[in-house]
Amino acid sequence: MDQSLSFENGLIELLPRLRRFAHALTRNPADADDLVQMAIERALRSQDQWQPGTRLDSWACRITRNLWIDTVRSRSRKEAFEAPPEEGERVGTDPGETLEASADVKRVIAAMQQLPDEQREVVALILIEGFGYKEVSEMLDLPIGTVSSRLVRGRTALLAMVGER
Amino acid sequence: MSADEKFFAWLDGELSGAEAAEMEAKVASDPDLARLAEQHRALGGKLKIVFDQVAEAPVPKHLIETIRPPARVIDFQSAKEAREARRAWHPAAQWAAMAATLVLGFFAGTFTPRYDNAPVKVQDGAIYASASLNQALGSELASAPAAGPVRIGLTYRDQTGAICRTFTEAKSSGLACRNGARWQLHGLFPAPEGQGDAYRMAAGMDPNLATLVNSTIAGDPFGPAQEKAAQRRGWK
Repeated sequence: MDQSLSFENGLIELLPRLRRFAHALTRNPADADDLVQMAIERALRSQDQWQPGTRLDSWACRITRNLWIDTVRSRSRKEAFEAPPEEGERVGTDPGETLEASADVKRVIAAMQQLPDEQREVVALILIEGFGYKEVSEMLDLPIGTVSSRLVRGRTALLAMVGER
Repeated sequence: MSADEKFFAWLDGELSGAEAAEMEAKVASDPDLARLAEQHRALGGKLKIVFDQVAEAPVPKHLIETIRPPARVIDFQSAKEAREARRAWHPAAQWAAMAATLVLGFFAGTFTPRYDNAPVKVQDGAIYASASLNQALGSELASAPAAGPVRIGLTYRDQTGAICRTFTEAKSSGLACRNGARWQLHGLFPAPEGQGDAYRMAAGMDPNLATLVNSTIAGDPFGPAQEKAAQRRGWK
């Protein structure tokens, strides 16, 4: 198969996962799909930087995460600062949004949103996306110990907020 | 690695061999730790269930199309008009379009229409009205049509300030704009197959020519008085 065609197919297959990751990172669905849009545009432009044979999913997630740091996160913060407090809970509470809003779902999403960004991204990559510690440490350019300690703090805080019995 | 980190690393399958076995035994013998493991497994499951809803939802079409744009739906008529309007601006391409009707011949690196009554001639890479067309463009008024082979259509000032006139003759219609003392051709469109004088007399403007006029005109076409005044000023 033509290499660029296989790259495109790979990206298309990854879209559901990229959307899931973006929804876990950002605070509202519109930002999430904006983020995915930007990420795939950047991935297409940077195609020559991807080494065939290496994992496309971690490469694309890394692009998505870096864009989130650079653009969407700062924008969301600005909006959260300007918007009324309940705006931060919009995700999952609007019947028209992507996520089905049960009380449980709302609690999980609200808890994720309250995590500090550096914990949320590690939780999203390891507990939701299923990457290993080492992959995440390479993806985020962080020592594995830092990834591990952020994960401990993040999931402990989540458990306290979600209230598992 | 702290005790907590080791516990979670075990929970996430990051430990192997002796370390994993050791942690497993520890959890099995400690009900609090076993309960914590269970709570965190449930939390992980809940996170997956919540965010898997996104992964399972239909992917917005625009995201897929960013990666793989849909085959462009071609509006053949618009594409043809755009192509022909572009060709009209380009003297070389324009000649290609004219070849079928004008029969070109090459002479020592330059070419001129062999067809005796051709309405145009090539000079210094530009196409100008030949003597008969030049005469008609300079002297005829749309408001007072002459009996000659050329019929004048619209007269207007273009966006560069030059006066332009559309014309129709036996085998083509076109647009010429004043350039110094001459009329330079900006577009020439062959008459449809099988149409000669009838084409010249046809009321409708060639759609390609109309596109060209629309893209170059500044203001409105001249009325009879403006046309006559422009003629008196030598089309300046």
